Amino acid sequence: MKIRALLIGDIRFQFKYGFYLLYLLFTVIYVSLLYLLPGAWKKPAAVLMIFSDPAAMGLYFMGAIVLFEKSERVLSSLAVSPIKPTEYVAAKLLSIALIAVLVALGIGLGGGVLSAPFSFVTGVFLGSCLFSSVGVILAANIASLNQFIVATIPAELVMNLPALAYLFGWRPAWLLVHPSVCMIELLENGTLSLPAAGILTVWTLLAVWFAVRVMEKSLRHLGGVRL
Amino acid sequence: MKPLLHSFSMFVRQIFKDSMLAVICISTVLSAVLIRFGIPRLELFLCSRFDRISILADYYLLFDLLLALLAPYMLCFASSMMMLTEYDEEITGYLAVTPVGKQGYILSRLVFPSVIAFVVSAVFLHWFSLTVWPIGWLVLASALSCAVSTALALLLFSLSHNRVEGMAVGKLSGLVMLGLAVPFFLPASIAYLFAPLPSFWLAKLCITRNLLFLFPSLSCTLIWLWSLSWKFSRKIR
Repeated sequence: MKIRALLIGDIRFQFKYGFYLLYLLFTVIYVSLLYLLPGAWKKPAAVLMIFSDPAAMGLYFMGAIVLFEKSERVLSSLAVSPIKPTEYVAAKLLSIALIAVLVALGIGLGGGVLSAPFSFVTGVFLGSCLFSSVGVILAANIASLNQFIVATIPAELVMNLPALAYLFGWRPAWLLVHPSVCMIELLENGTLSLPAAGILTVWTLLAVWFAVRVMEKSLRHLGGVRL
Repeated sequence: MKPLLHSFSMFVRQIFKDSMLAVICISTVLSAVLIRFGIPRLELFLCSRFDRISILADYYLLFDLLLALLAPYMLCFASSMMMLTEYDEEITGYLAVTPVGKQGYILSRLVFPSVIAFVVSAVFLHWFSLTVWPIGWLVLASALSCAVSTALALLLFSLSHNRVEGMAVGKLSGLVMLGLAVPFFLPASIAYLFAPLPSFWLAKLCITRNLLFLFPSLSCTLIWLWSLSWKFSRKIR
């Protein structure tokens, strides 16, 4: 019940601050760009767009969301409420994953590149939760937006470079242990989708567990005192 | 002048503390080196691979324009992120009633960084460009790049009520940069749909090297700056 209330609160928050409008606009732009591209480029371009934007939006926005909640004393209120850090993190992850999946479906369907919806949605959902968890881990202990942006750079490099190499044709089998590569494999509905789903699930669960631990610690130390 | 310099040093200290200054310096230099030395090599590789005379060479000017815009955009983005943080923490209002004042705040957070970015942009364009830039055009392109970046920083700060909206508008502001690529890829009949974007006119001016395009380019940028400055002033009142 508490998680439902938190989830609705987060969705309302994201709606109020223009996430839905912004991503509606981005979906239209991405689909228009896909229409301008030659047929052979459409699928890899759509995969790249989905991987780099809706799926990774949690990493981009989490710093601003957490800092805003800190400045509005939301986290202080949550810290003394019966809400558990797991529920707080889960609501954040699910609300962002909802937008990610909707936008990815919009781009996939609008661009005419969606062939295997189950594998596609699994890839976007797990990938979004993974990126958002990394966002929570980085955002928990930062003090300014610039600090968060700087902190995301190494994370983005580690997450994106192997996936880009895989997307552009460098495909040794061992690269599949990398979570972002698994995401690309799922979005493309490749021959290794099943193991990719398993590996990505393990990485996502690990990242979520770590995000919960970090948030738990951060909530316990709010305002410079141990609660 | 002293309060202004003090306020500006506050800005520099903060972005230094956040490591943003180091990131801006490193990423700008890396991008410049990559464009200057990486793109021609990539062009050679692609041409031999696909048996073509030129693939990227037609877009060298686009890479130069990106180079001109990179330092100003990054510096202005960092500045607007800091202004948003200050606004959220209600520091802006206090600064506006100190000797720094509203004008001083604008100068220290937007104009000083833009002036520095102008110098960096001109130097980078001189040393790392892929095409030939006569000095007058180089100064003009750097100055317009700074004006466009300042407009984007104003857009980011003025249209957002807090950091979350700031990040959303920041994402949106990246679209304004799309205007740079439009004259290179789209036919004129469609390209003019992007005429409200100052980056479109910047690219058009530099492609044609026709001073007639300076008028729409300046007008468009000034309209953006004027209308957003008005919103900015109302916000920090």
